[in-house]
Amino acid sequence: MKQYDVIVIGGGNGGLASAATLAEKGKSVILFEKHNIPGGCGTSFRRGRFEFEVALHQLSHMGTEENPGPLRELFKRYGILDEINWIQIKELFRVNFPDGTGLSLPAERKQCEEFLCKEFPSQADGIKKYFETVYKFCTEAAEFAAKSAKSTGEPSALKKAIMKAGFPKLYTTLANYGLKSTQEVLDEFFTDSKLQLALSAYWCFMGVPPARFPFAILAKCTNFYLETKPYYLTGTSMMMNQAIMEAVQKMGGTVRLNCGVKRIVLENGKAVGVIDEFGEEYRAKKIISNISPLATYGNLLLPEEIPDAAREYLKPYTVGISAITCFIGLDCSPEEIGFTTSFTLNYESLDANEDFKDAYKLLPENDPLVATCYTVDDPSVSPEGTSVITAGTLKYGESWEKLPPEQYYEMKYEAGRRIVSRLEKMYPGFTEHIEEMEIATPLTHMRYLGHPGGAIYGYEQDLIQSVFFFPTESKIENLEFASGWVNACGFGPNYTYADMVASKIAQEV
Amino acid sequence: MAKNIKETLLGTLVHGEEILENIRVMRSVSADKISCENVAAASERLHSKSLSLLVSSVFDTGKNAKVIRFVSENGYLPPFEAGQYINIFTEIDGVRTSRPYSISSSPKQRAYYEITVARIKDGFVSDFLLDDVKVGDKFEANGPAGVFRFQPVFHSRKSLFLAGGSGVTPFLSMTREIVDAALDRDVVMLYGCRSSEGALYDKELRLYSEKYPNFKYHLVISEKDDSWNGETGFIDRNLIKRLVPDYAERTCYICGPQVMNDFCKTELQELGLSEKQIRREMFGTRCDIQNEPGWPESLTGDEVFNVKIGERIIPAKSGESLLTALERSGVRMNVCCRSGECSLCRVKLVDGKVFLAKGTLQRYADEKYGYIHSCKAYPISDLEIII
Repeated sequence: MKQYDVIVIGGGNGGLASAATLAEKGKSVILFEKHNIPGGCGTSFRRGRFEFEVALHQLSHMGTEENPGPLRELFKRYGILDEINWIQIKELFRVNFPDGTGLSLPAERKQCEEFLCKEFPSQADGIKKYFETVYKFCTEAAEFAAKSAKSTGEPSALKKAIMKAGFPKLYTTLANYGLKSTQEVLDEFFTDSKLQLALSAYWCFMGVPPARFPFAILAKCTNFYLETKPYYLTGTSMMMNQAIMEAVQKMGGTVRLNCGVKRIVLENGKAVGVIDEFGEEYRAKKIISNISPLATYGNLLLPEEIPDAAREYLKPYTVGISAITCFIGLDCSPEEIGFTTSFTLNYESLDANEDFKDAYKLLPENDPLVATCYTVDDPSVSPEGTSVITAGTLKYGESWEKLPPEQYYEMKYEAGRRIVSRLEKMYPGFTEHIEEMEIATPLTHMRYLGHPGGAIYGYEQDLIQSVFFFPTESKIENLEFASGWVNACGFGPNYTYADMVASKIAQEV
Repeated sequence: MAKNIKETLLGTLVHGEEILENIRVMRSVSADKISCENVAAASERLHSKSLSLLVSSVFDTGKNAKVIRFVSENGYLPPFEAGQYINIFTEIDGVRTSRPYSISSSPKQRAYYEITVARIKDGFVSDFLLDDVKVGDKFEANGPAGVFRFQPVFHSRKSLFLAGGSGVTPFLSMTREIVDAALDRDVVMLYGCRSSEGALYDKELRLYSEKYPNFKYHLVISEKDDSWNGETGFIDRNLIKRLVPDYAERTCYICGPQVMNDFCKTELQELGLSEKQIRREMFGTRCDIQNEPGWPESLTGDEVFNVKIGERIIPAKSGESLLTALERSGVRMNVCCRSGECSLCRVKLVDGKVFLAKGTLQRYADEKYGYIHSCKAYPISDLEIII
């Protein structure tokens, strides 16, 4: 039986970063990935002349060379920073309104504020206060996080009482806005609904409507994209994840592709190893699961081994949203059809909370459409004179799960047709330039990710399940979680969170 | 209940108590969410990891070809799109390998999947399927898979099918679907064969073309035959122009031997058709790789090289794909299309040189980090690989 310091289950973003950090720190680590390629969501596929990005729109946490962000530092440690061509994106996104107008927001705080003040002069005061609040919130949240990371154990009752009284005074912005919804905060600062949409546009990307979307996530998103700048890279996210996998191997770690884990082995209730899909057993001091907690407990343990505490702990958490995405290769340049900003958020009405109700329906109706043209940022992404676009809308998996299999293809194409007709409306002539097109539904995501509901961000990122309440805890000794199911989702947050989890484990094994 | 410090502090936030109460309520009313049954069950009904098939009938079609029908051992066959294939695993003389076969039956019925196997020279698997398979035999398969199909969002409702030899099989499924379901499509099919006896399903296709005004069919014979009074020669631009005057409005689908496939593509391009109008099925790998442009002149295809995989060394012939060499040596490989597209058989080339057959769809990262699709890679030196 082979013995390792740490076994990592699942080679998605979190699993790769976990393995890389452990290998970097000299620990013996083995990573199991059931697919033939690493990356999980962060991957690509080929059709005809095109290579399609599956998940990454804009990489956060990179920062510039002069002002590096945490991800740049991490990739430097892994030795992969210079292997990849990073592309800085100048705009946060473009929001397109139902009346045909649109706004492209610059990825720089001052420029962004000034631009919005010019567009919405009556709201100028609110805009300035709003950005101040966003920044102050993030500063306080970071300070508090740093401070609480240092403290260990439960303080005495007296100390608790003092902290309770002191906290709201010390962290006024955090205390005021930490548990508010996006809608509540936007209503406090603005009366113009177009401006509200422009500033909260990330919600439809995260899959929770403004009324339920934590302001804390919006504030952090806005803050880190403005400060560490949005990035893309040559060769899709597959390039980044393949690079991390190579780094794991170079630093002495082992990666097993085409080899899933069938069981976690427990002894006296503690995790001691795994059995792979071919029946071979491996032992380790710690196990990191980068698959969902649901699949970890439910699929890798015998029913009688699942701790009651885990069942109890996960009860308030509901599986989040999935997506329908069209991957489209065009035989023309982005300019030819009028695509100017790579990342666009497109609304059918100004009432985002109302539009979100369509997310439960099978087919796209008035759902907001996220459309990204990668060629705008990286013309080398496809052959000259062509472009790559992904366009999709967030959808819950349930109605797709209930669909009779014989209706699947018909509905899938109908979904594709509706998305393309939305694009045709915005970019006349679009349809006749389509050279390749694939459609992914919630069932496609379920197939490749193995996630319940085809969830792409794990649990619902709403006020009671995210921010302060992520289900980070494991209820089995020596088992830890590293994926987007237990923390903020997205490439930057996944890599950095997994690095943190793995760094802590590296001190223990 | 005594609150911990986290809850105590969160309670001081605006809405804090309210949200903590919400969570307590959720915890008390929610059901246990950990159950393995529902995870990915719906996607398994569409994209089964593995199919257990039973041969339900075998019968001759044309000269030197057989139709094999499979039913499912568990009674369920997933839906598929006309034009897709299944990859059938066989174990012959102790060697586990597989071959992709287009489904030729209509997707409108799923009682069985039908494939058609034609004899090819030195066909390791086709000989076995033609000579040894009988009703009741069991096979494992994966799929249905593949993207050679009508895509209604951007393909024209008017199609041109260009079939060569046994490449007719996906078109059988497409045609049967159109006539079975009375689809609003318009098809012209040109089927190129060496001889009229070699044509598969000729009678059935002829019948459809007589019965359905939206399906036209022409058999084109390339070998000289004085008794044949139909179309002759190759499927070239002149033939297409003459038989299909509205070719420019059509989406064209090509499936046949690689030489025919490449030739037809060029002819269509010469006629002014764009990339998006030309859809091709790349089935399998050619058995005469040494005739492909770019093949090193010094090699004949018969050289045997050593391939190092970990501690093991296996022999590999230059004229056979690396995948075949691995299978011959009993290495269990993840595989599906065997045509360079799906990337399941991807391996890392650590050392040595391979000849990459054209038509391989590699990712940018694969090229950068030395990954190759073993089904389309031919060893032209000793190799070291990682699987």
